Amino acid sequence: MIRLFLVDDHALFLSGVKAEFEDMADRFEIVGTASDVDDAIEGIRETDPDVVLIDVHMPGGGGLAVINSVTETNPDVTFLALSVSDAAEDVIAMIRAGARGYVTKSIGSEELAEAIERVHGGDAVFSPRLAGFVLDAFAHGLPQPADPELDQLTPREKEVLRLIARGYPYKQVARRLSISIKTVETHVSSVLRKLQLSNRYELTRWASDRRIV
Amino acid sequence: MQMNTVAAPRREIDLFRHATDRVVAGVAGGIANRLGVPTGYVRAGFVVLSLLWGLGLVAYVALWMATFEKVEDRPPRLIDNPRQLGLGMMFVGGLLLFRTVGWWPGDLPMVIVTTLAFGLAVLSDFDWLSRLFDPHAARPSKLRVGFGVVMLLAGLVALAGALSQLRTLGGVTLAVLITLAGVVMVFGPWLVSLGRALTTERRERIRQEERAEMAAHLHDSVLQTLALMQRTDDPKRIVTLARQQERELRAWLYGADTGPNGQRFAAALEEAASRVEADFDLPVEVVTVGDTALDDTTRAVVAAAGEAMVNAAKHSGAAEVSVYAEVADGRVDVWVADQGKGFDSGSVPPDRRGLQDSIRGRMARAGGGAEIDARPGEGTEVHVWAPLAGEEGESR
Repeated sequence: MIRLFLVDDHALFLSGVKAEFEDMADRFEIVGTASDVDDAIEGIRETDPDVVLIDVHMPGGGGLAVINSVTETNPDVTFLALSVSDAAEDVIAMIRAGARGYVTKSIGSEELAEAIERVHGGDAVFSPRLAGFVLDAFAHGLPQPADPELDQLTPREKEVLRLIARGYPYKQVARRLSISIKTVETHVSSVLRKLQLSNRYELTRWASDRRIV
Repeated sequence: MQMNTVAAPRREIDLFRHATDRVVAGVAGGIANRLGVPTGYVRAGFVVLSLLWGLGLVAYVALWMATFEKVEDRPPRLIDNPRQLGLGMMFVGGLLLFRTVGWWPGDLPMVIVTTLAFGLAVLSDFDWLSRLFDPHAARPSKLRVGFGVVMLLAGLVALAGALSQLRTLGGVTLAVLITLAGVVMVFGPWLVSLGRALTTERRERIRQEERAEMAAHLHDSVLQTLALMQRTDDPKRIVTLARQQERELRAWLYGADTGPNGQRFAAALEEAASRVEADFDLPVEVVTVGDTALDDTTRAVVAAAGEAMVNAAKHSGAAEVSVYAEVADGRVDVWVADQGKGFDSGSVPPDRRGLQDSIRGRMARAGGGAEIDARPGEGTEVHVWAPLAGEEGESR
């Protein structure tokens, strides 16, 4: 049973998602919802949920402000960013602040449920769009990477991201590369780590525009 | 937000020590708060009085013992600005050293010099070095300017007198320099803030123009679509309208617009996808990495990918079509995939073979290629690629 907290400033969307999860009461328990930044921070601190489903764009600083405040007090809370259509820098900034993944709101309810279970299990969740953003950000090899371990993607990681960008679920990514799903998850988690720790120019620029570095 | 100054309550004793605005115990802060003057003046007063037989020191300690600390809910910081304290200590230390070594012209000239120094410091709120170039410095108050000018003049007169007695050659230069420094200090921040006000005004005007443009755009696009959706009963049509509007709005917001040389590749691909979406009421998710100019080759790639999307929409039965395009290393690749029913490559229905051939033929003519990967029950993926002619692929 995963304890879930929903944050979205669109009441309609919030109630829709809530209804979907109430149909999956054996897997998820909704411990709270919030529709603005302050309520979200307070509610999450109070309920200490396992996973927070959080909108990127909200009045009062957006999901980024929530992640930044909550991780100070509740470092064990996992965030999954959920949004309609966003600029790359907003999404990358959310990931760099600590979100374990990003999915678009057009995602089906079963896929969303799986994504939540995946981030709760400590893995990362990349939507095709996020995979595209990441490939773009890491597109050019640096002549002299400051930290080759963090500033570049391995060929295998690129392959995995490309397949995700092409719309394949993890299971099919694994089959196409003849590796296990666990290995796919490992690659994606390692990309997430690079995304959060690398100081590549493109990433720091995006992040510093949002004042999180 | 908590205000820095707390209005003192009208009671018998309403002098408190300031809990946050303090260097030693907050006595000066409390007095300043009570009198409604900047803390700097009070501090300067205490220091100057201290130089006169230690009067200020005695007064400070006496007030310290006689007053209570005002409790605020903010945690007190012992030293508001360590640099200020450091400068003060350096100054006092220097004075003591000079006195010990014997370079001491007497107490009166030193009091004058000290007064001059503190006049300058108060003039710029004790932080004159950084304030001088600080664009955030506010316009100096009349009191501050007046006080500073008087201090400057007094100091200069005393200095000139001392210098003429000493018949120092550089005396005049020094006096001129000090005067100039004083002028900069008095009017510098004001000039900076004047320039800043102009910039702010211009920025505000630009912002208003942008807002007007955005309102106009939203009215023509989003509001119209919303109105249209309210008049539509067909849920599929609503989804299509919503997706079309989303795509258009995204293109407008995040700048996937046309470049100086006409449309770009990524935008053309998005457009092809949105046509398929509109014609078949099926979401087409497009992800692009990199972009390039639209020439004959890339136009062929877009057309072939568009055909593949139409195929997927018509035959796959999938709920969504995924398109991924990558422009890198001098070539362009597009994958059009669905998670639909797929087909057996061995038994392709004739109408689909024709389309396959048209995709293949088109790509071959463009100097690239096409590959179709399909298995029954596991979806279909069409991969088209072509080398880029002149312009290298570029990142967003």
